[in-house]
Formats: sequence, structure tokens, C-alpha cells
Amino acid sequence: MNDKPVILDADNLIAGYLPGINILNGCSMEVKEGELIGIIGPNGAGKSTFLKALFGLVPVRDGAVTLGGEDITNLRADELVKRGVGFVPQTNNVFPSLTIEENLEMGAYQAHKNYKKQLARIGDLFPVLIQRKNQRAGSLSGGERQMVAMARALMMDPHVLLLDEPSAGLSPARQDETFVRTREINKTGVTVIMVEQNARRCLQICDRGYVLDQGTSAYTASGQDLLKDPKVIELYLGTLGA
Amino acid sequence: MLRAALVFVVAAVGITAILSMGGTAQAATETEAVTTAATSGGTNLLIQNLFNGIVFGLLLALASVGLSLIYGTTGLSNFAHGEMVTFGAMITYFLATPQAVSFPLLPFEFTVNWPFWLAAPAGIAIATALGWVQDKIIWSQLRRRRVAMIQQMIVSIGLSLALVNFIQWWMGGRPVRLVTSIDPRKQYGPISVGNVTLISMVIAIVALLAVAFFLQRTRLGRATRAVSDNPALASASGIKVDSIIRIVWMMAAGLAALGGILLALYQQGIGFDDGTKLLMMMFAAVTLGGLGHPYGALVGSLIIGVVAEVSTVWLPPDLKFATALGILIIVLLVRPQGILGKAERVG
Ligand SMILES: Nc1ncnc2c1ncn2[C@@H]1O[C@H](COP(=O)(O)OP(=O)(O)O)[C@@H](O)[C@H]1O
Ligand SMILES: [Mg+2]
Repeated sequence: MNDKPVILDADNLIAGYLPGINILNGCSMEVKEGELIGIIGPNGAGKSTFLKALFGLVPVRDGAVTLGGEDITNLRADELVKRGVGFVPQTNNVFPSLTIEENLEMGAYQAHKNYKKQLARIGDLFPVLIQRKNQRAGSLSGGERQMVAMARALMMDPHVLLLDEPSAGLSPARQDETFVRTREINKTGVTVIMVEQNARRCLQICDRGYVLDQGTSAYTASGQDLLKDPKVIELYLGTLGA
Repeated sequence: MLRAALVFVVAAVGITAILSMGGTAQAATETEAVTTAATSGGTNLLIQNLFNGIVFGLLLALASVGLSLIYGTTGLSNFAHGEMVTFGAMITYFLATPQAVSFPLLPFEFTVNWPFWLAAPAGIAIATALGWVQDKIIWSQLRRRRVAMIQQMIVSIGLSLALVNFIQWWMGGRPVRLVTSIDPRKQYGPISVGNVTLISMVIAIVALLAVAFFLQRTRLGRATRAVSDNPALASASGIKVDSIIRIVWMMAAGLAALGGILLALYQQGIGFDDGTKLLMMMFAAVTLGGLGHPYGALVGSLIIGVVAEVSTVWLPPDLKFATALGILIIVLLVRPQGILGKAERVG
């Protein structure tokens, strides 16, 4: 893994929503091609904000983001989609008044010539979505929405995928399914950066983890090392079953 | 959603109060004429008023569908939408009238005197272009600087005042007629209606169907609905949100202009503040139908139009808009999200 080139590099990001209030105070991350990166940290640490800053949805005030060596700091999200980055937000991640099929179509908005082909490919991954393609996404359960959101992001065949808590609100069985699926997507060559509440499960499958606290990336190590790190165990994993 | 609905209702009621203190609206006088015609025919007043209500509802729908699309995609309650209605009719008058016209501040007069069939599409095209200009120089700048909605709404109120005064200064305070020939009413069973009104209805229906077709059957239209649902997610899906909003402003301005032209034909003239007076009914229609819902404006407009006209069978015509607003309040008490508005499930 370590000999692969760096694909995404975030250098000391300062970012926030409201003028004068920084949520990220120097967040750095270096991701190599094909890696599966897990980001863990307490609630409100700025994990979602970090992903949104990478994706041009929160203004970056200082620092830089590069993708494959090209500066992409503060590029609009639709420009990043064009460059092969996909994003599944934590909340509000479907278009509720659109049908499942229309949601997927929006995912392939920039590549509508390949739409049918992509739809068939995604249909193999999520057959249930095709069976219910005319149902409004607003009427789906949390788990079903998560599936639509993931499928929508995959419609452009991204080579970097940002996932914000894909397992949140799912039953344990569905959570497992999500982690397995994420790993499978990663195995096909997609670089995945995944924010997770379920720190243990996330660290088990990821190549490398980042711990984010109070808007700074505190430290990084391989998933296995973080699982054994006494401080991580105490703060994020709890002692039970460690 | 509920808060926005309340803002609309308060605004609508406030504007009604202000307007009812002023002079009588041109529209009221004209519809009374229609009512008289129906009564003198000795035919069923209810059916005639129902029909008048549908006509008015269709014109209102044309005017307000853009208001609804703008609200849906940007969150802005555009108080300057009424002037877009007036403007379309006034430009058409400017191009079609055989009388001498002039540009404000320019010292020379000239006549354009185009035939109506040319002046009306040209008026709509110019209004559409102004929708583009408006978004380019005002609204997209405010969005880019992340100016909050209340502030943007106040800008739109200011713009409304500026535009209505500009139109009065340019075109004068008296109502103008787009066509000089009169449209004789013919009797169809219990309904008395002129050909121009019938053609206007057909044009309104075709235009509204075209909007529905656009939203439902075209990729761009579906993207517009996606932006209405969630602009950030639309952007994250690869949609250029600002381009979609630009198109929405052009459509909104063009449809408002068409609505204004047909309204001017229907009520046989248009005054500098007719669109401004219509704004309250547009807000009411959009809120009643379901804020931001693409078809809410149509449903709400038809209900407002029919209730307003039919109420005159039993109630004084001066109260007809108040009755329509009463219906709005009752519906919102039962269905806070409006008729078509969906209460989305949480989680
Ligand atoms: N849209 C927003 N506007 C203003 N502040 C926000 C917004 N979203 C999140 N925040 C603030 O940013 C901080 C970090 O939030 P977030 O990135 O969602 O944390 P995490 O995902 O790690 O739980 C929190 O203090 C939160 O209140
Ligand atoms: Mg979060």
C-alpha cells in the first residue's frame, strides 16, 4: 500500500460555516491510491465538516486540498464530481420528492450518455432499488435511503468516495452489510474515505485510521494499531471487549 | 416550512389590508361587468362564476408558478414577482401600441406599432432576458456571498417598490390596453365568454402543461426538482446549481410576463400596479398549494380563483379576495404544509 502515489492530500485545513468561527483548525490527511481510510472522533469533532470541506461544500479559509497533485481547494462540488470524487452525506442524502430512479439519474447527471449502462451496473449491486425504482425516496426508511444515497454516489463511477457515517441508524445486520459492501467497493480500486461512529468496526476493515478531535487530526496509524492504542480504546472504543 | 408559510400568510393579509384601503382594483370592475352580463342572460350565475374563477385561476397560476419555482430552488420569497407580471404586459403594450412611445429620460418619441402576435412573444422574450439579467446582477451575487434569506427578501421588497414606481413613471398612472378591438361575449349554454378569453385559456393551459412536461419529463426539469429538494446534494451529484437557478429565473420571468399579457387581455387593460396587487393572491396560491411544490401553484391558484369568484354569488364582490384568504387560513390550519406539500418522514 505504501508505495502507491498520494491521491488526495489535505494540508492544514481551516474551515467553518459562520464568519469568524472555525470548526476545523488545521486538519491534515494524506490518502494513497486504493486505500480505505477510516475517520473516527467524538461527536461534534468536525468529521462531517472535514468531508464537506474536502468536497467544496464548506468554504476552506486556509490550507490546501490536492487531488492527484492538482489543487482543488474550494472547487465547487460539481467540479469535483467531474474529477471523479463521490460523496455520500451523513444526513439529507437523498432527494425526497424524486423517485429512486430519478435519484440515481441525478447521480449520473454529468454522464447521462452512460446512464443506462451505469444503472444496470448499480442494479446488480442493489437489486432492490431497481424493483422499487418508481417509489418516492421520501417514503423510504433510513436504511433504504442510505442505500439510495450510496447507489447515487456510485453512478458516476468515482475513483475517490467520501462516506459520512454510512452505518448510522442501521440495524446491526445492515451495518455489517454496509461495511462489507464498502470493503468490496474499495477492493475494486476505489479509494474510500469513511467517517464512522462505529469506531471498532470501522478500524477493523480500514487500512488506516485518523482520529479527529476538536477540528484537528490528532493522529493517524493503521487500523490495527489504533485498535490496540490505549488512548483510542479509552476514548472511542470503551474498555468492554477491548 | 411552517415559518415560511406564516411569513407568506402575514404578508398576504397585510397587503390585502393595505390594498383594500386604496382604490378599487381594475380587475374587480371588469369581473363585475362579466357578472352583470351573466345575470342579464338570466342564466346560472354559479356556473358563470365558476368559469370566471377558472379563467382567473389559470392566469394566476401562470403568474405564480415562477414564484413557486424560485422559492423552491432558492428559498427566496420574491416580493418583486408582481412587477414581472406588469412588466411583460407593459413591454407588449410598448411594442404594440400605435401611439408614440419613448424611453424614460430620452427626449425623442417614436412608434413601434408591431402587430400584437409579434409584440406579445417579443415582450415575453424581453422579460425572459430580464430574468436572466436580474439573477446575474442581483440574486446570484447575493447567493454567492451567502446573504441570508430575510435580507434577500428585503432586497426583493425594495426592488418591487423601485420597479412599480419605475413602471408608473415610464408608462403613466392610467391603465393601458394591449389591443383596441373589443372581444364580444358569446353565449355557450350558461356561460358567456369572448373568443380572446377562450384563446387565452388555451394558451395558459398549454403553457402550464409545458412546465409540467419540463419538470417531469426532461433531465433539466428533474434536476430543477432535485435542486428544490436539496441544493447541496444536487451540487454533490454533479448538477451546476447556479445554472439551474438561472434557468428558473428566466422561466419565472417569462411565465409571469405571459400571465401579465393574458391578464391584460382578460381585464381589457393593465395598470402600472396590477401585478403588484396580484402578488398577494400569488403568495396565497403558492402557500395554499404547498410551498415550493412544483404543482402547488397551479392547484392553489385554481382554488383561489374559483373561491374568489364563486363567493361573489353570495357575498359582496369587495370581499372576494378576503374570502379566498380565509380559505387559505382554514386549509393551513388543517394541513400546515399546504394541499400538495408533503410532510417528509424524519430519519
Ligand atoms: N451547517 C452548519 N452551520 C453551522 N455550524 C455547523 C453546521 N454543521 C455543523 N456545525 C458545527 O460544526 C461542528 C462540527 O460538526 P460536525 O462536523 O457535524 O461534527 P461531527 O460530524 O464530527 O459530529 C459542531 O460544533 C456543529 O455545531
Ligand atoms: Mg457528522
